[in-house]
Amino acid sequence: MNDIKSKLRDFILGELIYCEDPTLFGDDDDLLEAGLDSLGIMRLIMFAEREFNVTLPDTEVVPDSVRSFNALTHWIESHRP
Amino acid sequence: MDLLQGFRHQSQINPTGPCLVEGETILSYAQTARRAGGIARAVQSLALAPNRPVAIAAPKGIEAACAVLGILAAGHAYLPLDMKGPEARRRQILSESQVSAIAASDAKSGAGDLPVLVLDQIQEADFPSQSVSPATIAAILYTSGSTGTPKGVALSHSAIHAFSQWVRRLVQLSPKDRIAAIAPLHFDLSTFDLFSVLSAGACIDFLPDTLTSAPSRLTEWLETRKITGFYSVPSLLSFWAWKGNLKKARLNHLRFILFAGEPFPTSQLRELANSLPAVELHNLYGPTETNVCCHWPVDRARLSDDQPIPIGKPACGNELRIDSDSSELQVNGPTLFSGYWQRGKLTPALTDDGWYRTGDLVSINALGEFVWHGRLDRMVKIAGHRVEPAEVEAALSGLEGVKQCTVVAIAGDLGMQLAAAVVLDQDLSIARIRQLLNQQLPQYMIPSRWRTCAFLPRLNNGKLDLQAVEKLFSQRPPANITPAASSRRYAD
Repeated sequence: MNDIKSKLRDFILGELIYCEDPTLFGDDDDLLEAGLDSLGIMRLIMFAEREFNVTLPDTEVVPDSVRSFNALTHWIESHRP
Repeated sequence: MDLLQGFRHQSQINPTGPCLVEGETILSYAQTARRAGGIARAVQSLALAPNRPVAIAAPKGIEAACAVLGILAAGHAYLPLDMKGPEARRRQILSESQVSAIAASDAKSGAGDLPVLVLDQIQEADFPSQSVSPATIAAILYTSGSTGTPKGVALSHSAIHAFSQWVRRLVQLSPKDRIAAIAPLHFDLSTFDLFSVLSAGACIDFLPDTLTSAPSRLTEWLETRKITGFYSVPSLLSFWAWKGNLKKARLNHLRFILFAGEPFPTSQLRELANSLPAVELHNLYGPTETNVCCHWPVDRARLSDDQPIPIGKPACGNELRIDSDSSELQVNGPTLFSGYWQRGKLTPALTDDGWYRTGDLVSINALGEFVWHGRLDRMVKIAGHRVEPAEVEAALSGLEGVKQCTVVAIAGDLGMQLAAAVVLDQDLSIARIRQLLNQQLPQYMIPSRWRTCAFLPRLNNGKLDLQAVEKLFSQRPPANITPAASSRRYAD
């Protein structure tokens, strides 16, 4: 669980959005408000499916699933074999 | 030919037909004409100098579309601002373009002492019947500029008309069509939505922006709204084909999809084509300066191998030629722009004999189709948006503490990504730079990959070694941005 979250943090804060000090970006803070857009969401899902060996169902690809690190981790975790 | 002629005609023969739809609001052709007529009268009452553009500061939707029609009917050019981009860039464009007035959804959108027309406070009026001369500038669309500042492409009524009528015939638009408008107004794809669709008496339904982040909901929306066609960019279509739940979709009304703005990777286009076997697909090509000048109707039989798809054959009555020395594609014909809009004036930008040099490298294949190979300069496309690395570099160089910088494009799984290599003073961080850039540049122009260096790699002759810069990004960064356990909140 923590491993998933830390990999997601590295990827999103390193490549998809900016924030003043990544260590201060909380796990419940809003990623969409911080600038995660539709292209970023696509990159993120591609990364997550490959990295964690999951298939994320089409109908669950909605802004709420990717709104925060906690939401994302929970979502990916629920599809792990 | 006046761009509004088709709309005027439709509002007479088809007054009760649905014209603009946004959420639950539906405006008929007659209602749209009255709204736009009121805006035209309000613009005329300002008695602006002829040929001055009027900016539009309103999100994509009914209000903004009526503003376009009204400004054009008053004989002025519309200049749509990117409402999602940073305020500083909007101000830069307002000052550079020397607009005469702003049509806004909000009185606070003013700048200096420019008159502001607040769109929802304007009384309706009859739509003006006098036509506008075809050479009049209709739209000024700002795009990224290689000199470091945004650059305004000025398109005449006749140029947009030539494109919009060609594509109207291509997909045989009729009053039965209902088209999803996806592109914002400052993006040239929107001229199809506004002018092809309204001249055909069809209906524009404005797609809510949030749906581009939820592909399966986009599918449901297209189903329930009975959308018959739309025009978008490959990156959005790839996401939709991949996660749009298309296998279970019942898109019975959808007849066509047009795409442009960037190359569509063949494997991703194949996935889209296989999911929508009955839908016509068209690859349109053309820098904003040409509207559209080349077209390939997607031939599904040719998607089985992974050859890049062609940009096809000349479109909209244009002539194309390839410069024999540089292999650059050059265009001449009815859809060409009138020039760049610089400091309130039109600056012609064609060759002496009237050709536009695209900067794109092309060849012709055995079937006589044009094939795109890349750029002569450094311009890149990010999700269909044009980005000049020089403009990003200019913004970066303007930041205190950035000693040197260069911006390159790196090919990723999902198209191009911008990457910046910077030499910094000690007390500046990448995070801080990204924050400062966010105040100046739209999101798609902000590099997503970063490297700090002690110096930038150079060739023996002192020029930047761009290949060596690109190599800096070929490995993943050593990421170490896991939060301290104690810090949970995001601080401004």
